Amino acid sequence: MAETRRAPRTPLTYVLRVIVIGYLGLLVAWPVVLVAWNAFHVPDVGFTTEAFTEIFNDPQMMHAIQLTCVAAVVATLINLLFGVTISLLLVRTEFPGKRLLSAMIDLPLSVSPIVVGLALVLVYGGRDGWFGPTLESAGIQIIFSTPGIIMATAFVSLPLVIREVIPVLEEIGTEQEQAAASLGAGSWQIFWRITLPGIKWAVIYGVVLTLARSLGEFGAVKVVSGNVLGQTRTATLAVEEKYLNFDQQGAYAVAFLLASVSVICILIVFVLRARGARVR
Amino acid sequence: MSIEVSGVNKNYGDFVALEDINLTIPTGQLTALLGPSGGGKTTLLRVIAGLETPDTGSVVIEGKDATSLPVQKRNVGFVFQHYAAFKHLSVAKNVAFGLEIRKRPKAEVAKKVGELLELVHLSQFANRLPSQLSGGQRQRMALARALAIEPSVLLLDEPFGALDAKVRKELRDWLRRLHDEVHVTTVFVTHDQEEALEVADEIVVVNQGGIEQIGTPEQLYDQPANDFVMSFLGDVTTLGGSLIRPHDVEVTPSPISEHSLEGTVSRVLRIGFEVRLTVLTDDGEVVTAELTRTHARALRLEEGANVFVTPTPGAYTMPAPSSAA
Repeated sequence: MAETRRAPRTPLTYVLRVIVIGYLGLLVAWPVVLVAWNAFHVPDVGFTTEAFTEIFNDPQMMHAIQLTCVAAVVATLINLLFGVTISLLLVRTEFPGKRLLSAMIDLPLSVSPIVVGLALVLVYGGRDGWFGPTLESAGIQIIFSTPGIIMATAFVSLPLVIREVIPVLEEIGTEQEQAAASLGAGSWQIFWRITLPGIKWAVIYGVVLTLARSLGEFGAVKVVSGNVLGQTRTATLAVEEKYLNFDQQGAYAVAFLLASVSVICILIVFVLRARGARVR
Repeated sequence: MSIEVSGVNKNYGDFVALEDINLTIPTGQLTALLGPSGGGKTTLLRVIAGLETPDTGSVVIEGKDATSLPVQKRNVGFVFQHYAAFKHLSVAKNVAFGLEIRKRPKAEVAKKVGELLELVHLSQFANRLPSQLSGGQRQRMALARALAIEPSVLLLDEPFGALDAKVRKELRDWLRRLHDEVHVTTVFVTHDQEEALEVADEIVVVNQGGIEQIGTPEQLYDQPANDFVMSFLGDVTTLGGSLIRPHDVEVTPSPISEHSLEGTVSRVLRIGFEVRLTVLTDDGEVVTAELTRTHARALRLEEGANVFVTPTPGAYTMPAPSSAA
């Protein structure tokens, strides 16, 4: 075990701590806490869970939440599968255009989600998209439908698994895989028995980040979904709708639900990682 | 003949890693591939294992042409310099890996793993993870893992290279004893001539992508094929225009033969039981000689003393290459 060398504590140490904690507190922690507070607290009434009761009794809201969950889970599964495959390709093989592909993977992070949405409409739009009419005549609707929402969500969260997995793959190297091969393991056996256990934590972390990001996707989904109540309205779109319609209590409540799932995801990873580190 | 390598060439771009290698490694022996870093010995070992594909040439293992066989089908045990331990598996599971891949019955696997852990003295660590073992223990685990599949040949790539000097020496003795017990055809790569001389039955000296000499440690040390082999296998010095081992140089107060050269002691270095002398001859040649401490004391050798240096009768010498003069 490597010992961590700590710099001696000086007054500057405490000043820096206050600055960092203050910055994170004002930018992240306090606003999120306020969302939670406002979800349960109504001025002049006090604490109430009325907003939540209302949401759970509103079939259209329940549909929006369900749609968000389905889109997020499917998009995460897609990105898990493709993310691990692409990572393996990028780290373990050489092919022309590899650097270009590697650069393109970061595109979804740098492009505004609105642009992603518009781009998808251009390609898959039912009326005058590049590929959309062909699919439409085959009975497959993408834009203004669930597949479009899933695609938009998958697009924006594409790099998260890959960026977690690639550095770990590079770090573990190929010797263990070569050793497994010399012991008779085929490539599939090597992947399941050696490579995957080696990148397990990176994959789990990438999946949780992807899931959290997918649950919260707004811009791209807004463009491709059409925001049809009870059909293609997702939870994030519902938050905006409620907020604009002066149902702030309801907006905070849905926002609280969305944020809670993300926080729970991160907490699960935190606990799993700590346990993993102890076993090791 | 257990391994036959013929006509093997391997290039990496412009770099020639192996050039027309022909080599036969006999069954049941412990063979060392010895040479300087970057000389091609590891590439040769990996070609034998099937971890590298040669550009041309063939590899035959136990009479079977293995040139186009993938590493999985060659039935070779390979041990890496940095152990390549499966970090997420216990010591016992590491050793069992090859047997589980071969779908052997559970009871048989458990029995075999038990025996192998006994053999490498790791029985009490069976349930530990590799990260809880020392370097030497990890390498013994890797060796047991490679032996578990009962390989036709065992290949070791600088197996002790990452270990400290003391553990290295222990493992070296231990490998020799293990080989005497198991008798599997073994090839190991090393850049340490002492390791090769001490452990191997046969040494193949590899340099700049080619083979310089093949022979027993005695043959290589006593009759090196060229000046490279001579200087790689031990210290050399020049005396009267010939290469000679410093311990084959006799130092006397008066001439003892017509080959004796006069000179002055310019430096005396004591290392334990040994004294290393630097003698500057009157012809301007710098000669190194090695004596025991007792011998040196008897001769009262000190800096500035006038002495005669002579090749010990029967000592092996070869003409010094002109460039090295």
